[in-house]
Amino acid sequence: WITPGRVPVSVLRLPRGPDGTSRGFDPNSPRYQALSSSSISTAGSGNRADLEREQQGRVELRERYLRSLFAMAGHTVHFTMYERVNVSASFDASDIDILNFQVSNLQTPLGVHREALLRCSDIISYTFEL
Amino acid sequence: MSEWQRKNPLEWQTYVNKEVKVTAAEKHEYKGWVLTIDPVSANIVLGKLMEDGKISVSVILGHAVKEVEIGNEGDDEMKEQLAHLFMPEESKAYGQEELERRKSSLKTWLETNHIPVTEQGESQRTLCVAGVLMIDPPYGPEDCSSSNEIILSRVQSLIQGHLAAQE
Repeated sequence: WITPGRVPVSVLRLPRGPDGTSRGFDPNSPRYQALSSSSISTAGSGNRADLEREQQGRVELRERYLRSLFAMAGHTVHFTMYERVNVSASFDASDIDILNFQVSNLQTPLGVHREALLRCSDIISYTFEL
Repeated sequence: MSEWQRKNPLEWQTYVNKEVKVTAAEKHEYKGWVLTIDPVSANIVLGKLMEDGKISVSVILGHAVKEVEIGNEGDDEMKEQLAHLFMPEESKAYGQEELERRKSSLKTWLETNHIPVTEQGESQRTLCVAGVLMIDPPYGPEDCSSSNEIILSRVQSLIQGHLAAQE
């Protein structure tokens, strides 16, 4: 009778997920600091009241934008891309940084793709009807 | 990064509800009423009323914006219409009493499920769950906001269940 030895198991460490408060635009969050120079602009004044006003404005603009994405889900959207490429597809989802759009039934000159990701950096504009 | 992308939210807000002409990359031009500008991507959302009564929404990506010219300012009716365009339908249909009833019913129900909930904001109209999630009138799944998407999705499905059980 052999008792199984204690075989050391390697520990798989997953990267730490976002904690509950660090997902938004808190200027002290690691996320804000990582993005701040490239994608989140601020008047940059240290005044607390100004910051508050700016945050309020940001919230209103952002909420409207997120709701516009929500309204677009399931609709046919026409995309104008660089180099005179025009495609249309049914919009499904976007990531929070607006870097990629996930779409279905992407109609391209070469045929239809059932599922696709569009890089927002390749898009000039998109249009849909409500 | 372009001058447009470097603007701050207060500067972008001055464009909202105005008629603009946007010149974008590769000489594309767009005209319409500014619904919003995404403060993360600087994307401009324009609305235009079509002849058939539908609304055409065009969005120019922030990185492709070359120039924005401001034209007319919308009247109050136009502003109202633009503000409600993407809002959930039902948010206009409830009376004060009905809202109060919905709020207390949801609050009681959350409390019976051992979820900590407090009332906040002007005239205590917002429900706050565990300090991290807000539920605004009319207190449906679409009225929840939270920066924690896991809690958000859990509470939204709870409210969905609560509403389904009532019917």
